[in-house]
Amino acid sequence: MDEGQRARGLAPAGDESELSPEAALGLIASERRRALRSLQPDTAVILGVWGVAWLVGFGVTWLASSGWLGRALPPWIAGATIVTLSAAATLVTFGQVLARGRGVHGPSRGTSSLYGWSWLLAMVCLCLLDLALEHQGLPAHLAPLLWTGSTLLVVGLLYLAGGMIWADPLLYGLGAWVLVTGAGSVSLGVPANFAVLSLAGGGGFPVAAVAARVRSWQSAPARP
Amino acid sequence: MTAPRVLPSLDAVIHAQARLRVMVALSVLPFGEQVTFSRLQELVGMTAGNLSTHLRKLEEAGYVVVAKTFRGRTPVTSVSLSRDGRRALEDYTATLRELLAPAAPEADGTLP
Repeated sequence: MDEGQRARGLAPAGDESELSPEAALGLIASERRRALRSLQPDTAVILGVWGVAWLVGFGVTWLASSGWLGRALPPWIAGATIVTLSAAATLVTFGQVLARGRGVHGPSRGTSSLYGWSWLLAMVCLCLLDLALEHQGLPAHLAPLLWTGSTLLVVGLLYLAGGMIWADPLLYGLGAWVLVTGAGSVSLGVPANFAVLSLAGGGGFPVAAVAARVRSWQSAPARP
Repeated sequence: MTAPRVLPSLDAVIHAQARLRVMVALSVLPFGEQVTFSRLQELVGMTAGNLSTHLRKLEEAGYVVVAKTFRGRTPVTSVSLSRDGRRALEDYTATLRELLAPAAPEADGTLP
């Protein structure tokens, strides 16, 4: 009998003693909640770290490009902040997906891995495209708009695809929000575009994270 | 003259704590997904021997499918819930609710 079983007041696993209907329903609910927690990536955590990356990454870039802080905040710090935070959020996302999917196989794993490869392929090609345009004489003041606008177009579309694959309105809605804020931000020009991306774009993630957490509580009620 | 209320009976294969927990853990996976024996063991917190015994009973009832495959040279045992198993768990849950529902007047022995 392990600690967890003792804490939940359960008999040892092999025990076949009579279960009352109440106890059986309670057990179904608690085991369901426990299994969901260990098998499904925590969407709220993933959206939360991406929210921080957007808010802080684009926020710092906004401050740096607005020039309010003078030389205290050179542009390279802004770029480094975005890259570091995005890399950290990517690691957290991968960590969640890999840890929770450990030992599980089947048709949906294939779909998930194709989805993961789609991200890599899209992002690599996006970088090649934007770098090629810069190389071929894109005016320097347009570069930030190209990079943010094109990246968010790809991100938004991949969220839409995820929403369609897993029939998840939350992910689809977030994709639509990313597309609209990304495209809208470009029309404002630098540095206002970064303010929109930080506050409106980045603000959408905490909202989605809270919605995901509420949804996971509702799908695994304490009492059936 | 009152007839006794007929109580629905519970599926004895599922109505045991350990097997119920295995069934519920497997039911969380989408249909067709398999979980390795060791991961399932981790999910339900049982010893390997214990889990094997219960899986055998569930397999005999046709509720789970136990498949042995090889990854390279290492044998891997995978477990999944069968269509019958999923339905049996749904029926079992419905029966529990029925048992717990307050007896409706017409089910209270007033009918012949």
